[in-house]
Amino acid sequence: MVTNRSYLRCVTCWPMWIMCLTILSFSACHRPGDGNILKIGLSEEPRTLNIWLAGDANSSKVLSQIYQPLYLRDPVTLAFVPWLAAELPTYEPQKRTYTVRLRKAVKWSDGTPLTAEDVVFTGRLIQGFQIPRYASKWRNVEKITALDNHTVAIRIKKPYATFLSGTMMAPIVPAHQWRAIAERAETSQKKLATLLNNEITQPIGSGPFVFQQWQRGNFVYLKKNPLFFASRQTIDGRVLGPYVNGLLFKIYSTTDVAVLALRKGEIDLFWWGIQPGYLEQLNKTPNVKVFQSKKSALYYMGFNTRRAPFNDPVLRQAVATLIDKRFIVQRILQGYGTQMDAVIPPGNIQWYCADVVRHGDGLSRTDRVRQAYQLLSQAGYTWKTPPVGNDGNIQSGEGLQLPDGRPMAAFNLLTPPADYDPHRAMSGMMIQEWLRELGMPVFARPMHFGSLLQKIKSNHDFEAFILGYGRLSLDPDYLRFFFISGNDKPRGWNMSGYRNPEFDRLAVQSESEMNPVQRRHIIYEMQRIISKDVPYLPLYNPGLLEAVRTDRFEGWVPMIDGIGNRWSFCQLKAVENAANTSSEKAKAR
Amino acid sequence: MNLQRYIVRRCAEIVIIFFVIMTVLFFLFRLAPGDPITRMVDPSMTPEEAQLLISQLGLDRPLAVQYAYFLGNFFRGQMGVSFHYGQPVVRIITQRLPNTILLFTSAVVLSALFGVWLGKILAWRKGDGIDTWFTIGALMCHTLFLPWLALLMIWLLAFKIGWFPLTGMMSPEIWIDSGSGWVAKALDVLHHLALPLLTLFIIHFGSYLLIMRSSMLNTLTEDYILTARAKGLPEQWVRDRHAAPNAALPVVTSVGLSLAFSINGGALTETVFSWPGIGRELVFAVSNSDYPLAQACFLLIAIVVLIANLIVDVLYGYLDPRIRYE
Repeated sequence: MVTNRSYLRCVTCWPMWIMCLTILSFSACHRPGDGNILKIGLSEEPRTLNIWLAGDANSSKVLSQIYQPLYLRDPVTLAFVPWLAAELPTYEPQKRTYTVRLRKAVKWSDGTPLTAEDVVFTGRLIQGFQIPRYASKWRNVEKITALDNHTVAIRIKKPYATFLSGTMMAPIVPAHQWRAIAERAETSQKKLATLLNNEITQPIGSGPFVFQQWQRGNFVYLKKNPLFFASRQTIDGRVLGPYVNGLLFKIYSTTDVAVLALRKGEIDLFWWGIQPGYLEQLNKTPNVKVFQSKKSALYYMGFNTRRAPFNDPVLRQAVATLIDKRFIVQRILQGYGTQMDAVIPPGNIQWYCADVVRHGDGLSRTDRVRQAYQLLSQAGYTWKTPPVGNDGNIQSGEGLQLPDGRPMAAFNLLTPPADYDPHRAMSGMMIQEWLRELGMPVFARPMHFGSLLQKIKSNHDFEAFILGYGRLSLDPDYLRFFFISGNDKPRGWNMSGYRNPEFDRLAVQSESEMNPVQRRHIIYEMQRIISKDVPYLPLYNPGLLEAVRTDRFEGWVPMIDGIGNRWSFCQLKAVENAANTSSEKAKAR
Repeated sequence: MNLQRYIVRRCAEIVIIFFVIMTVLFFLFRLAPGDPITRMVDPSMTPEEAQLLISQLGLDRPLAVQYAYFLGNFFRGQMGVSFHYGQPVVRIITQRLPNTILLFTSAVVLSALFGVWLGKILAWRKGDGIDTWFTIGALMCHTLFLPWLALLMIWLLAFKIGWFPLTGMMSPEIWIDSGSGWVAKALDVLHHLALPLLTLFIIHFGSYLLIMRSSMLNTLTEDYILTARAKGLPEQWVRDRHAAPNAALPVVTSVGLSLAFSINGGALTETVFSWPGIGRELVFAVSNSDYPLAQACFLLIAIVVLIANLIVDVLYGYLDPRIRYE
């Protein structure tokens, strides 16, 4: 019996043994590490280091520190700032040619000079391989040539407005690294696939940081680039670093744990939108600050305008009138977002038009029903039981009939599932209830996101849906390809099948208008038309909440789409360094 | 001779079953709603670019042709290239599999050893207070909701007390330091392993304990146990040499299959602990319609489970001489 007890004692101590061993091992191997490395939490592993394959947010976050474009956006005005380029491009209309001058002292991270040849190579690579996401932005480029080591001439097929915001935003890659890869891909049967699937283990870049190490599934480490061209220089009125020794991207699969890591000081930034539910505990944590930024995002309800009943703009307007966006923002988004009425988000100050039709804005619930009822009645819609009784009181509407006398068939409002996006799923449920008040037989149907996209984009098999774009470009060209008739095709971006010759005319004009002021007028008009015809009903723009440690680094630069931008990473300083710098300045004064 | 014939027959069955699984998997993924391209595209990609990508991935060909390519590649030892990572799936799996084996196989082995050991002792001491408390404890552990327990462990032992790292498999600070030797790196991995291992151990040991205890209780009523005692053999000898080996048979099946399925990892555990294993990749591949990666993961699980089944069946013959192979 004694033996049994001793066995039991031994055995039940196992977990304690494991703990003791690991704590000992921790004390044996724990090192504080370099305090001047910015630690960033990511929600998922980056996909690749191949810039042409990287389409996911996390790869872009890493690679944007390595590969650089010719121009950047100013964080406040969103105006273009020459980055690899020395100045804004000059355009000669007679020759249809842009001339881009490059900075002279730019070097790749391996010490090779960055020249016009690299820019030419990048352009030809994008065009030759038709690289997705970039080729469409370069399709109007007829010829690209290097005039000298630091000057590039780009002849275009026809004038187009997105030269700077589209074509010039492509990352420039080093010809001396990519030429051999491109030649190998050129000889293969599937040349694009070969190029995209080429594994890049040591990317050579020109950015503030240079790739150092990637432990798959664990972390990516970038070191400060000692050859960074903008180091200690003033660009856009800012003296740039980088002042940190490196960036360490750690992967956390759940927000719960990432938030704990931030509170514990394991990371300095969780580079991912945080749900408002975490704010309370973050606000209570000392040395943690939450930034709220606007997003270049659009969350909207779309209609299938190809077929009845939503081919009728009056019905779409009535639906728009019934939907209380303020309620969605206040209750579902818990106030962290803004109501959207125009397709272009309000944070995009250059292109956002405030003067659009705001259906039912500010009306009470009953007034919304009354106004929608009035709209539909005037257009010939009838009810078995109308939502507004003879005495003028609101009642539950039933049996809505179309102007041709047919009863309105039951239809689905497709949304992503709650585990993918609870806000959209809940908005769908609310909208279902609001439309039913008017007697519309609608069913909110959350479904698998892949199936949802296939139904809407490829098969056009839907009546209404709620979708969103979380990362819209800052150039409003998407307005054109979301609603132009030519894009009403399977996999085309005109998912609603919207067709309006007037809009098409403006869209074509917006593409080629080189005068920014004139183009702004056209874009404004396009937003007004969409707000009136409602092929998409913009719902909300969710606020972007990002949390950082304030006891480690300071100098974050807020911007649309958050504080995780090149300006921030080039200006951040360790708190003690920043304090020293300011005291030195004070002494100097 | 009989055993050899049995093994040959089972191997032939395994080949056929594997081929069926492979075919079903191939068509199941392609018939499922959603497609990989729709998830890849963003507003900056035109339909023409999307079409080019589809053709480059070979998804524009008829299903029969795609299947023929798939089979051809399989027999050449190629499992294709992941749509998402652009890397050969074999490379992705070989990167992730050791991590999963390290965590889950260790967890199964540790919890099985502990569970069997304790189950044996508790059955021997049936009715004691210790038996009651441990049985209740095992039942409670077995029914715990894993993500909840995992988060609780992280919060308590890693965040509040600070004994363990929050998640992950390694501390970057150690791995990026060129001065760190392999001992420091190994200890670091061990340190990261402890918390998920402890969590899995708590969840799993209960089931082995209960199986062993129940099997042992049945065995203890057998005549040969009475005979052993009548012969005057020491109690510990009767328990360990006569009762336990016979009671262990159901546990062998359970452990064998658990070991096989352990390469599947656990999506929930790996996600909560940010453990870079197969389970997370599998879920990611399925939800993003990354056909080659998902197929390869499932095929790997299928083949390991089929072989583990065969091994368990053969082992039975050795453990219980009454079993005959026909």
